[in-house]
Amino acid sequence: MKFLISLIVLVDFLYISLLWGEDAKPVVEVFPATPIHQYAIYGNLAIFWIGILGLLVIIRMKLREIERVQRMGLDKEQS
Amino acid sequence: MNCPRLKDWFGERYDTGALRKYVRGKLLPAHRYSLWYYTGGIALFLFILQFVTGMALAMYYVPHAEFAHKSIIEIVTKLNAGWFFRSLHHWGAQLAIAILFVHLFAALLLKSYRKPRELLWYSGFILLGIAVFFGLSGYLLLWDERAFAAVRVATGGAGALPLIGNFIKAFLRGGIDVTGETLTRFYAFHVSILPLFTILLLVLHVLIVQVHGMSVPLSLKDEPRREEPFFPNVVYKDLAIWLVLLGIVVTLATFLPPEIGQKADPLAAPPENIKPEWYFLFLFQTLKLFPGEILGLNGETIAIILISGGIFILFILPALDSKSRSGQRSPLFTVIGIGYLVYFVIMTVVGYFS
Repeated sequence: MKFLISLIVLVDFLYISLLWGEDAKPVVEVFPATPIHQYAIYGNLAIFWIGILGLLVIIRMKLREIERVQRMGLDKEQS
Repeated sequence: MNCPRLKDWFGERYDTGALRKYVRGKLLPAHRYSLWYYTGGIALFLFILQFVTGMALAMYYVPHAEFAHKSIIEIVTKLNAGWFFRSLHHWGAQLAIAILFVHLFAALLLKSYRKPRELLWYSGFILLGIAVFFGLSGYLLLWDERAFAAVRVATGGAGALPLIGNFIKAFLRGGIDVTGETLTRFYAFHVSILPLFTILLLVLHVLIVQVHGMSVPLSLKDEPRREEPFFPNVVYKDLAIWLVLLGIVVTLATFLPPEIGQKADPLAAPPENIKPEWYFLFLFQTLKLFPGEILGLNGETIAIILISGGIFILFILPALDSKSRSGQRSPLFTVIGIGYLVYFVIMTVVGYFS
């Protein structure tokens, strides 16, 4: 948890560091301008994060099971 | 994942018993600082991301001064998800260099560089240098005003080194000034030379970790501690962290795609208030501290020599820290390490706000 918080702080720092680029005169639209494409992108991002969170839940369940088995010493019996 | 037929096919042809026994038996120390063990894996993940997105971009990028800028505009505007791959590559680079600095300072302050892991420190330090040069060379490939001016300043700074400065400047630029030759040269560095050296050094770096195992801080040497299996415990934790990191990179790439400035004009004046990328800010700010002339000598040259000296001392730290080499605590080098970290952070922040 502490590590994730540190990572988020670091990302915020990098985000702020990008703000100094205001002086550059952008020539090109670097993000799709049409609303339908933007909604598709944000929708996909939301689905992506839901997928990540789902995988994290599964990993946590697997880890808890593995640690439970290891605490009981069952993994050593099997090997 | 259980694929018995595939396992059987492999097992009939290759004896993987020893390798499987090694992987299953590999244990990592678990203590209050073991969180920092994951920074290396994060850096590795981000390098892989850079390789993948870089390969995709390299298929469409044209490394010629006349067409480079236009090819990037076409990648961003005409290709499906071209803007996204470019943005992923940009943010992957920023985070990779940031995590490498974190990894460096963690190794420095936890004294992971002490005997017998000195080669780990040296190879890791060189890898950080390569990563920074990746950033610089990649930055120029956009061939816009800011990139052009930044590379001119950076290569000019290298030229201030006595004796070898002019050679380094000419070698990097491919001539007297930053031109199309520099672009082609930096492209060769970025997609071929640096990846080759990175892979070789990374393999060495990871192999040394396997040989020596993870370092335990001296302060915990005499404490009883538990160990956890690398497989599957640490692998699953690594996977979880990599997933979150991927989500962060994708989110940053979506919401903050990097801009494309005006095409570089070698004859035009540099843009006002130009600054380098954040990982050069501490150098940039240090240079500003020095006056133009010191006791009749060129101030910039003295600054570059002192900075190079400081970086060299950091590089050879394992050789200097004799106390930790013999397994004793060395508070002096902890203070030196904190000093380096504080200087880096403060000068970066001051450089950003100035």
